[in-house]
Amino acid sequence: MGATLHNRDNSLVRLFKWIYAGLDRTIFMGLKFTFPSKFVSPLGFLGMLTFVVFIILGITGALLMLWYEPILTRAWDSVHKINDTIPYGFHIRNIHYHASNAMVMLAILHMYYQFFSGRYKIRNEILWVSGIIIGVLTILEAFTGYDIIFSERAELAISIAASLTNSIPIVGPDMMHAFFGNGFHDFVLRFYAFHVFLLPIALLGLMVIHFPRFLVFDVPMVMAVTGAIMLTGGVFPIDMGLKFDPNVPPGITVPEWYLTGLYSFLRSGYDKFTTGVAWPGLFILTLLIMPFIDRYKKFSWKDRPIIAALGITSIAQIMVTTYWGFYIDPDRTKSLLERLVIDPIFLYTVMALLVPLSFGFTYLMIKLAKNAEERSKTQKKPAEKSPIQLPEKWLLIIFVCLIGFQVYLNIATYYALLSGMKNFSLFLVGIIMLVFAGMFHLYRQGKSLPKSNVEVVSSKRPSYGLSSFGNKMLGKDTSKKPLPVGASTGTTSTVSSLPGGDLDEKTQEEKPVAAESPEIKTPSKSSTSTTSSTPSKSSTSTTSSTS
Amino acid sequence: MSQHRPPNIGGGKISRRDFLKLLAAAGTVMTFTPFVDWGKFLPNPQEAAGQRAKVELPDGSQANVKTFKVNHAEAVIYPKSNDQVLNAESFRTWQFIRLPAELGGDKSDASAFRMYSMVCLHLWCLWKYWPEDGRKRGECPCHGSMYDPMTGMAFAGPASLQAPPSNVLPRLDLEIDDKGDIWIKPPNWSPSANGVVGYGRYLT
Repeated sequence: MGATLHNRDNSLVRLFKWIYAGLDRTIFMGLKFTFPSKFVSPLGFLGMLTFVVFIILGITGALLMLWYEPILTRAWDSVHKINDTIPYGFHIRNIHYHASNAMVMLAILHMYYQFFSGRYKIRNEILWVSGIIIGVLTILEAFTGYDIIFSERAELAISIAASLTNSIPIVGPDMMHAFFGNGFHDFVLRFYAFHVFLLPIALLGLMVIHFPRFLVFDVPMVMAVTGAIMLTGGVFPIDMGLKFDPNVPPGITVPEWYLTGLYSFLRSGYDKFTTGVAWPGLFILTLLIMPFIDRYKKFSWKDRPIIAALGITSIAQIMVTTYWGFYIDPDRTKSLLERLVIDPIFLYTVMALLVPLSFGFTYLMIKLAKNAEERSKTQKKPAEKSPIQLPEKWLLIIFVCLIGFQVYLNIATYYALLSGMKNFSLFLVGIIMLVFAGMFHLYRQGKSLPKSNVEVVSSKRPSYGLSSFGNKMLGKDTSKKPLPVGASTGTTSTVSSLPGGDLDEKTQEEKPVAAESPEIKTPSKSSTSTTSSTPSKSSTSTTSSTS
Repeated sequence: MSQHRPPNIGGGKISRRDFLKLLAAAGTVMTFTPFVDWGKFLPNPQEAAGQRAKVELPDGSQANVKTFKVNHAEAVIYPKSNDQVLNAESFRTWQFIRLPAELGGDKSDASAFRMYSMVCLHLWCLWKYWPEDGRKRGECPCHGSMYDPMTGMAFAGPASLQAPPSNVLPRLDLEIDDKGDIWIKPPNWSPSANGVVGYGRYLT
């Protein structure tokens, strides 16, 4: 450890370096953490962003726990108190709510990106399967969260969930009693237990399996996502809903957007078990076995037409059913039931029609993509950076849209003013975070212009024989002072205490055999080996003979 | 050095010793399974089982055949606890109905009375009995499910479209003592007996 502590550093920096070096014994060093020094597409690290949002949810949720009361008669009132009277309660509740939506959204985007890029197969099956389970649990987590407010909408959601559980053949009623208890009082308390402890702990446990070894932590993007959550909280503050009263007819409520797809099926009035349990179950099961049915040898979606078409189909169906779940016949003269029920024949015909349509669409896309590839091969390279050229008409349309958005924001600000500017401060914090993200990005962009693309942070610390650590620093100092291998096979502390010795050690340990040699070699053998090539050979022979 | 052996992934044979170990472990587990009260922790047992309970009207008195009006209904809490919060629970509210005269409500035995769970089988709002002429039925304020007071079966609205047992209200059995006081018999919370609140009952 001594090598990392340069005398130039002040004591604080030395403390941090000492702590960082001490982390070597922890699990974190098994992960390859990169802080990109240039813009990289956020599609590649959507999982990390989801995790960051999960942490935000954990922190805000812990703060909400201080005030929330999971009691039948007080749940709604306590949330009301958080929202209206407790200082910063409004902000924390809004961040919590919008972060939950962001987490579900990011998880879905993450899943589809991995799906279309084909990264879920070939030894990534465990990551995919655990990811799907995490996704389902995430939705359950979000679902239990908005249920424990116990507003009208929450009651609707709870009763639908309970009746769906009930509808499962044979085990259903017992399952309902086991998970929901008996009556609303139990529901609120149990959903609270699920929401704040059981599901998060299950999520954390699964995340240990789900984390790949290569992680990207892009500070500006994380900042941007956090800022966007706050911005949304500022522009669209979440309302309280009405307190549930069993004697008052509730208004029409729809569930959260990630469940309206399911809701549209339920509204078709067909059998509860089929529409509410079997269809989503089939969807999840298909996703789970996806890497095992995808037999294509290639990864790109262009080379996997059927799988890509399946993905497009699922997206199209999710979008259609989600919209349909939100849609309620505006004709108020009709009875409520008539407005709510969706004609099952109509619904299922549309769903069936979407399959050939999306297959055709995928075929078209692949054809176009292949054509474009062919053309780019024959026509040499076009100009690398073509300026954005939009026709004047489109520029005008974009301009009008932006002005419309501006007007909308002004109206939102006006309403914020009326409601005591609470959400306006949230809005401002969001803007500040977004600006910070932009500034960070520009700073990084300017700083990294002559440098390489990605800088591996872990390369700066001494390596103790793990060949998986950074390779960026290699090649610079190889000619400096080649040590004999006999030195590197000694105790690691003596080597790393030499100035610059850690770099030289890296070059030796590119060979995986040399990394193992200190444990296996006996002192007598190392004393006989004098040249640099023999000890590695002898160590290979020992490993092969012992194992 | 045995821990350096690669794990057995290739589908190789299990040694006899390992197999016996596995058998012994499985046997030990199986021996004790019948003595564990599986899953009894999770469900919340309904209290007040074993003995009959009063039909306690909102004014605190016990319902009596001689005083309770024909074609009339009251909300009764069952099982009643000392906890205000639990008594406010929808799942403990029951509609105690004396049937209209044309359905046999003027008799002075238990057949003149009905007691159904007030939780609508559709989406758990609280329905109630409407004694007006031309109605004389249970109606849910939320989505208009209607219940037949004789059987507790939904005959209109979304609840009537649900498959059995989710179209018949759970029901409590009643008995009348010598003084005419009405009592609730200990229920059996099963779909084929008294039914499950919020879920329903098979009409037998």
